[in-house]
Amino acid sequence: MSKNELEIVGQVIGGNVGSIAIREKNGKNIELGDLLVAEENEGGYLILKVFNLGYGSQIPTEVRELAAGLKLEGYSAGLDFMDPKLRNYTMASVKGVLRVNKDSLKIPKVLPTFFSSVRLATKEDLEFLATPPKYPIYLGKVRSGSKVLDIDVHLDGESFLTHHVLIAATTGRGKSNLVKVLLWSALDARKFGIFVIDAHDEYYGRNGIGLKEHPNARGSLRYYSPDAPAGANTLVINLKALEPEHFDGIVSFTDAQEDAISAYHKKFNETWIEKVVHGETIEGVKDVTLRVLQRKFKRMLGVYEQAGELICDSDVFSLTAGASTVDDIVRALERCQIVVVDTSRLGEEAELLIGSIVASKIFYNYKKTKGKGALDEKPPVGIVIEEAPRVLAQDKIEQGDNIYSRIAREGRKFKVGLIAITQLASVIPTTVLTNMNTKIILGNEMASERSAIINSAAQDLSDEDRTIASLDKGEAIVSSIFAKFAIPIYTPLFEEVVAKRRQNSKDDGFDLSKSKLLLK
Amino acid sequence: MSALYKFAHMSDIHLGAFPDPMIRDLEKQALDESVKKCIELKVDFVLISGDIFHVGIPDLSVVNDSIRIFRKLQHASIPIYAIYGSHDYTPNGTSIIDILETAGILTNVMKARTDEEGYIVLDFFTDPKTGAKLTGISARRIGLESKFYEKLDKKRLEYEKGFKIFAFHSGITELKPAFLSEMETVPISNFPKGFDYYAGGHIHKKDEFELPGYPKVVFPGPLFTGYGKDIEETARGVDRGFFVVSFDEKLEHVEFVIIKGFDGDFFEYDATSKNSHQAMREISQKLDQLEVNGKVVIVRLKGELSGGKTSDIDFIELRRKLVGRGAVYIQFNRFSLRTKEYEGNRVAGEDVQAIEATLFRENIGSVKVTQPNLKGKEGTESAVELLRNLRQQLKIGETKTDYGKRIVASGIETLKLKQEFKDE
Amino acid sequence: MSLEAAKKAVEFLENNIFYGEIGNPHFGASGVITFPLTSEGFEPISEKHSKRKMAFVDGGNHEVLGAPNFSIQLNRVYSSAWNGRNRVEWKLPRVEFFSSTYSRFKNGEIYYESTVMASDNDSDNYLPDAPDLCFSSVDRSLMNGNQRADIERVGSVARRFAEWRLALKAIDYLSAGDILVMDGTLQSNFTNEGKYAKALTSAAKTRGIILTGLSKTSTLFTTTGLSLLGAVNELADQGKVKGVWYYPVAESHSIDHDVVISVARLNPIADRVFRVEFQRDEYEQLGKAGVEEIFSQLCQNSCDASFPGYPYGLIDADRFARVPYDEIEYYRGLIISHISKLGKSSKFLSHIHSGDAHNILNLLVK
Repeated sequence: MSKNELEIVGQVIGGNVGSIAIREKNGKNIELGDLLVAEENEGGYLILKVFNLGYGSQIPTEVRELAAGLKLEGYSAGLDFMDPKLRNYTMASVKGVLRVNKDSLKIPKVLPTFFSSVRLATKEDLEFLATPPKYPIYLGKVRSGSKVLDIDVHLDGESFLTHHVLIAATTGRGKSNLVKVLLWSALDARKFGIFVIDAHDEYYGRNGIGLKEHPNARGSLRYYSPDAPAGANTLVINLKALEPEHFDGIVSFTDAQEDAISAYHKKFNETWIEKVVHGETIEGVKDVTLRVLQRKFKRMLGVYEQAGELICDSDVFSLTAGASTVDDIVRALERCQIVVVDTSRLGEEAELLIGSIVASKIFYNYKKTKGKGALDEKPPVGIVIEEAPRVLAQDKIEQGDNIYSRIAREGRKFKVGLIAITQLASVIPTTVLTNMNTKIILGNEMASERSAIINSAAQDLSDEDRTIASLDKGEAIVSSIFAKFAIPIYTPLFEEVVAKRRQNSKDDGFDLSKSKLLLK
Repeated sequence: MSALYKFAHMSDIHLGAFPDPMIRDLEKQALDESVKKCIELKVDFVLISGDIFHVGIPDLSVVNDSIRIFRKLQHASIPIYAIYGSHDYTPNGTSIIDILETAGILTNVMKARTDEEGYIVLDFFTDPKTGAKLTGISARRIGLESKFYEKLDKKRLEYEKGFKIFAFHSGITELKPAFLSEMETVPISNFPKGFDYYAGGHIHKKDEFELPGYPKVVFPGPLFTGYGKDIEETARGVDRGFFVVSFDEKLEHVEFVIIKGFDGDFFEYDATSKNSHQAMREISQKLDQLEVNGKVVIVRLKGELSGGKTSDIDFIELRRKLVGRGAVYIQFNRFSLRTKEYEGNRVAGEDVQAIEATLFRENIGSVKVTQPNLKGKEGTESAVELLRNLRQQLKIGETKTDYGKRIVASGIETLKLKQEFKDE
Repeated sequence: MSLEAAKKAVEFLENNIFYGEIGNPHFGASGVITFPLTSEGFEPISEKHSKRKMAFVDGGNHEVLGAPNFSIQLNRVYSSAWNGRNRVEWKLPRVEFFSSTYSRFKNGEIYYESTVMASDNDSDNYLPDAPDLCFSSVDRSLMNGNQRADIERVGSVARRFAEWRLALKAIDYLSAGDILVMDGTLQSNFTNEGKYAKALTSAAKTRGIILTGLSKTSTLFTTTGLSLLGAVNELADQGKVKGVWYYPVAESHSIDHDVVISVARLNPIADRVFRVEFQRDEYEQLGKAGVEEIFSQLCQNSCDASFPGYPYGLIDADRFARVPYDEIEYYRGLIISHISKLGKSSKFLSHIHSGDAHNILNLLVK
């Protein structure tokens, strides 16, 4: 047999463009999500993707049912189906995803040759993916079914970040691992700023392996935490950094309360919160409104008055410290650093508030810079937000716009993008979902969620429902306007990525024997 | 309730920062008053968190005057403890602080060594009278600060019992004021936890902070008036002075003692849409209204003149009039004043140092170099330090040859070229 | 009313079909020796290890276009080979050919004359000889009762002759001791068939190939009017004969049908039994052990769950020899198109219409 004959996994036997029927060669175990290749004339080929598998049989259903019944009930007396390989087989439903010729890659508009053989795609067939873009962000390796091919999948960081990313995953499917690998790659590139609101303190690597292991971490990674380990920054934000719009869409106020806040801010500028808490009255603001605001600020920000003195016992907010924290973070982002903020110990409101403050600052800074015609000099900035429906869900946006929804709508113009992570894409409005031009879809067992993602994807994923439901941990589909087709990927374990880097690089760590030099 | 012990915490004295003899005199008086206060308040020791002098080798007259004043503390059996500040270094190693320590005027409390594993160990210095344990970190050279803290054996410091004071001369990231947001700083997490008092220096703004694990972090601000932009703040009425810290086994009380270095007047004039003659007239009128006798007068000018040149504003005449009316020191800050016709590379800044730093930062990218320490942030800082070293004056009694050698040596040190010039 | 009538119909059968004695096999033809049907006559088939290959041959045919005076048929014959449950490599192709028959008046009678043409090159070697496919329309072997034989019947005959011929070729790929199983009996029923059957039996004997025939249907009876196969099956149930068995029921001693006829159950849970024939001299030569071994091989091949008790080799052969209706439609279209090209449509149609009225009626009632 020739090499090709050995590789053959099936044969085209019918179907139509939406669903080409392939009979599987016995024992080849075609998988959901497999990439197959049907050769064409003149060296070109079609890449096909398996989106469904079913049984085919020459034996009528009722006969099979009877035979199964006989076997189950113990009456089979050695009965079986003879010629099993010929009579019972697997049928794969596939769809063309790409037509490759020596100088072009196109969406296929033809069927593979009838009765032609198909084989599994190899690394060589997908070599066009191997050329990394200008500022690559690594997402994983190409996956065919459950098999991982040795081809790295990169998307161009600049485009990818500013056109927003949705990472859709249910718990335990490898979302955190994917984000870590993505951020690790961004640390390599050092061309983008990424702000990460880390709700579970899982990215930096405080107690294990994390981004801090990266050789560029010293100069390109900043970590903020209320309880910072040595060398990291303590997360403390001065109350003067808070402005009324930071609360939009995160904390609900009545109209009277909003008016009061506006009035205080107008009069007292950056000390408006202190004045509210101090109880300094201003015209037009009722006492009862002021009291409610004081209670809210005490709850949210930990600031209150006691014996005439202002006290702030928040883990994060402060009356005195943290005056330049937000500026530091924004500056770091503009210097292409990754900034990870540990919000694991904070309540949801505080977490979103902190994100809102930084996101607003960077967004409006960039907006202003664009007004001056200097946006090209700024690097793109991405903002990672977990459990995105907290700020992007339909009902949240209806209550009032917030900075995240604003960035989702307008951020692209100003090189600011969202990397939104969610289990519940269905609650995010289609208008927002459609703006997220890259979707990294991990396994999801909820049909309604899969449907929401599929309906807003950059490619036609209408047949991928089963494939998505069957995605295992670490497996994903990247659907992006920057990719030629919806690429199935496998993201390696972050720990393996780190280990590989350690093997390949010299030790950048400071040599303790040189410590004496530091004493001078 | 009176605590058993007290110490004075001061920093950023910057003796000799101003060449003007009148300011020097005020500076001397302020130092003298501070020392008198310390004696009066019966402090048990004085802790200075760096930048006692403005340069590593100042004018000997400044040194002479300060020693005379410091000796008063000695006579009152009040020891002086100190750490180096960023201005206390000389490129070639020995600075005036070393000499003062050798002479027994003060004690450097940074006692650092490396252990067998290469970690940096800070030993405590125990004040014999109070038992307070002092240690600290002097200002580090550019780029070495974070590495130093990384290798510091913090646990050893944290386990130590007793009343502990940690002196340092650097900005803390979480605590720096907004106007210093671009300053290179150290995150508080790098500091050992659990000290009773963190005696800061380097930040020219009085402030006190409490953070989890760091119950009291204090920056006294300049004792007199610092240098550069600081004089404006002092003229506006910002309090200068030092802290007196009362303690027993624990910290009891912290109180700020104001030292009024001088009376000042600050006047800011925006020349936007005014021509030079209008500006001259209005500035003159405004200055005429001020009561300047015996005062330090600081005038800041900003904005873009709609016509004429900045040289049309007769600053000599303005100065003469102010001196005639009794002003003891006058400063016109014109760095933010521009004319429309001028098309040169104008950089706005608060003071000379800020402008220089901005210029270097903005233009360093256009200089093609291969050495990493001459690029980016590190390159900017090297350039700033080099310029500062090159500004050093010829010392009294120093020959031109020696002066030249000293300046060259400082340049080699700053540019880290010791190896290249080893055999020369 | 119709329910009552149905009930009465059943009761009539119930009252008249004899459920008493099983009786004995009744063949009606001369030269056949029957064996009594007793509960001791069942021969068990135990599993024997055997290296004998089995080749199965079956055919199918269907009229593509027909009229009372012509018939074009598509014929297929197929064979495959097995060892027990396992298919073995087999190089004989599927034979496909058209037979084209027309009627002509000769010697005072209507005769049917045919020609055959292979669909592909491979099939050429397996076609029956065209002269053998010329029959009188009143040939008794083709007639149904007293009616003149339908011209369509010739197709069945052509297919049958092709089966013999393919079986003859199959012998070349078998070794001595291997088995050749024909679908149906080993009896020659049609005029000219004897030539083909004889060639096969002779070649089989020379090469030592065991020739058998297995019929899935049988119209044999017992002396009590019961169907023979049904009676033997019932006898097995009465005697609680479990497992697989064969029951020799008769020997035929005629020249063109010299066989031992048995009834066999080839799978323990099969509810059907089949008629199996062996050449008589081979049967005797094999002896009981040898016969049991042959049956054992057949049993092993009869374990397919889709039709327990029926050799899978014949299921397989039937599948590939079958001519499905949708294929016929395709060929009909081709042929009609060609007729039309020749400008002979009206000529052909006038004959077709003379025999297809029932088709029209069928359409009307659908």
